[in-house]
Amino acid sequence: MLRWSLRRVGAGVALVWLVATVTFLLVSVAPGDFASRLNDPRISPAARLRWRRQFGLDRPLPLRYASWLATAATGDLGTSWTYKQKVTTVLAEVLPNTLLLTSLGLALEFVGGVALAIVQLRRPHGTGDRLITLATLTAYALPAFGVALGLIALLSYRLQLFPPSHMLSLDGEMAHGGARLLDLARHLVLPVTAIGVTGVGAVARYLRGSLLDERREQYVLAARARGCSQRQALVRHALPNALLPLITMMGMSLPFLVSGSLVIEVVFSWPGMGQVMFTAALSRDLPLLLGGTIVATVAVVVGNFLADVAYAVADPRVRV
Amino acid sequence: MREDRRTLVAVVIIAASLGWSSCRRPPDRVREEQPREGARPGGQVIVASLADVTTFNEYQSTGELGEAETIDLLFPLLMTEQPDYQLHPPSFAPRLATSWEFSSDNHTLTFHLRPDARWSDGVPVTAEDVRFTFLAQKDPRVGSLGMEMKDFIKDVEVVDPHTVRFNFTRVYPYQLMDANDGHIVPAHAWGKVPFDKWRATDFEKIVVTAGPFRLAAHTPQQTIILERDPGYWGSPRPYLDRLVLRVVPEMASQLAQLIAGEVNVVQAVSPQEADRVKANRDLNLVEFPSRMWGMVGWNNRRPMFADRRVRRALSLGINRKSLVDTVFRGHAELGSGPVLSTMWAHNENLPQIPYDPAQAAQLLAQAGWRDIDGDGILERDGKPFAFDLFYPASNTLRRQMALLIQADLARLGVRVRPVQMEFTSLIARTEAGDFDATIWVWVDATKVDLTSVWSTPSPSQGSNNFIGYSNPDVDRLNAAAREEPDYTRAKVLLDRIQELIVADQPATFLYEARLLVATSRQLRGADINAAGLFFNVDEWYWGS
Repeated sequence: MLRWSLRRVGAGVALVWLVATVTFLLVSVAPGDFASRLNDPRISPAARLRWRRQFGLDRPLPLRYASWLATAATGDLGTSWTYKQKVTTVLAEVLPNTLLLTSLGLALEFVGGVALAIVQLRRPHGTGDRLITLATLTAYALPAFGVALGLIALLSYRLQLFPPSHMLSLDGEMAHGGARLLDLARHLVLPVTAIGVTGVGAVARYLRGSLLDERREQYVLAARARGCSQRQALVRHALPNALLPLITMMGMSLPFLVSGSLVIEVVFSWPGMGQVMFTAALSRDLPLLLGGTIVATVAVVVGNFLADVAYAVADPRVRV
Repeated sequence: MREDRRTLVAVVIIAASLGWSSCRRPPDRVREEQPREGARPGGQVIVASLADVTTFNEYQSTGELGEAETIDLLFPLLMTEQPDYQLHPPSFAPRLATSWEFSSDNHTLTFHLRPDARWSDGVPVTAEDVRFTFLAQKDPRVGSLGMEMKDFIKDVEVVDPHTVRFNFTRVYPYQLMDANDGHIVPAHAWGKVPFDKWRATDFEKIVVTAGPFRLAAHTPQQTIILERDPGYWGSPRPYLDRLVLRVVPEMASQLAQLIAGEVNVVQAVSPQEADRVKANRDLNLVEFPSRMWGMVGWNNRRPMFADRRVRRALSLGINRKSLVDTVFRGHAELGSGPVLSTMWAHNENLPQIPYDPAQAAQLLAQAGWRDIDGDGILERDGKPFAFDLFYPASNTLRRQMALLIQADLARLGVRVRPVQMEFTSLIARTEAGDFDATIWVWVDATKVDLTSVWSTPSPSQGSNNFIGYSNPDVDRLNAAAREEPDYTRAKVLLDRIQELIVADQPATFLYEARLLVATSRQLRGADINAAGLFFNVDEWYWGS
């Protein structure tokens, strides 16, 4: 177990290094750099040259890489060129916002998917099953921004039930305690629903398929023979086994959990990782871009690790 | 207050008639402290903003969208530049400085500061702050964007706490503008941070302001709340209690929120949405000429664009009027040359290039471009006349332009391939000269200097002349115009430069954009113009 863990940690560190290095190279060879955007006739062209010197962008690539790696290896991700703050500070500001939004979105996706699959399995191939399949697949096929805008148009502007954007209202930002929490909850409804609605179809579809398979297994038949109702056999016996592949799916969703959804964040003016990373990419803010990539990669590594552990816990046949 | 505006215009016209040098005299106090009739103090205005402010220290700023306007509400300038550049180089109204004068040899400029000016922590704003600001602007470790503006200012001396003197190394037309560039920052608070630490300092934690508003709260990527500073020494003081900047990164959402009443001001309405805003009885659409203009830049270094007959033919072959009307739906003017038509330096007598495909075809034939193999595409030396036209991805207006240009030039036998490109990549390719043609937009300064964009590029100094235009006469005249202290004489030189550039057509001048700002109809008193959204924010108030 210890050796396995060490091996996994080693592989994880190597992966983080590899992804960060590839990102460094890709951003460096992409046309343009942080000084490119100073192309305003109001700014002297000399300022552009000066900036390239200041940020070391005029140094050869291997040198830049070596100095970045030397700093990053000590755990120092540097200072964001745009925000003039430690990369860790910038990320620490937005990461919780993203985690809040995406974890609730994913939770809705999984809970909703499981519930729908169970409802569908009451009468497979019946009208309800077909309608739910049609609805969830349609939602899955819809672009996230379309769903988001539709939700805003209907629930916010027409029915005026929920606020259309931001994490907090102006009053909410000034409030404390319960009032603030309530305001936050109201602002979460639409973006979480947008994530949930578009993802629920995949989970429901996946689970429905694997439940249909499990239903025919002998242990389900045995459960029925022991006097379990159809529903008990399905929920107590078949469901835990059918859920196993979903653990992998959840593990694979972790990067989304951390890196966020740019579309949802932009449409709902949500201050998260997606927006920050997108802006960093456009402005070629290399330290911030690398910092964000490293955090997301670590999330993937940890996610995979946790998925493996969860598998081992859930399925006694798997030994790590 | 309308009266005051008229006074201002009168002052400006008199100043203009007295000539450029008279702009150096301190103008009369034009804004007086008398409440506008019917204006009620109080309330807040919520302005939608596309991006958050990344820093409150102007000298750290990377020029992010909207940042300068927010900083302008919080920190003082010596003078306020007036939006009167259509008449003459901009004049200035007092702000932190009550008056100013040049020495007889024009090498020294002395500002007299308001004795009652205070920072938000109560400490007086003094000549020492002005000097400290200058040191920060000039220090390479700070790396301020506007550092080059201070090239000809040798030093700044503190004469007494309320008098400060700028010593210039030379006399030139924009001394007043260059001295005024950059907001004054607090020496007592920010001087504690050594200049070499500025690039990694979060100045929000030590922010001390001296503007009509002060920073009340900032939630990153969400909201900036500015509240009226009760200790503000300037006049008039704002009617509004709070000014809120709400980050809404998507333009369509901004408009939806304006209609829903979630925000009160949207700074950039797209031309497609203008009619919708006009039709809404709760909204007000303000339209004014911006300083943004667009062109198709032909890479003059490429053999296919080296001949000016070819470039002229391309301009003649694009139906620019129809293009501008189609894309901007009447919310832009047809461009004619390198100086905006709203600038004092614009040459009124420039010929407007017509849409004339027949003449275009003739010129192309003269330049050796003929359709020899009958495939509908012109050739010269066996090579077809085909090129890539770059435009930034995600900009639908420029995409439409690219497609219209493609269609127009196809009729001449020129094959255009519109290529959309991520913005920073586009800039990098253009800057490196690695392109054929590009749809490019400039936002001009109020300082008219055509050197950086139209003089022959100098590799050591850097240049904004990406298209590689080179005309020795233009170079010579540009050098003379930027040295000429008398603006009426400079105008003669600038007129000639414009004639030469238009004759050479290094680029096809497409449009001069108008800006569309939408506000709630109940918001009164706002004079929103090219000088900035918040030009007279102290006079904004809510109508009943």
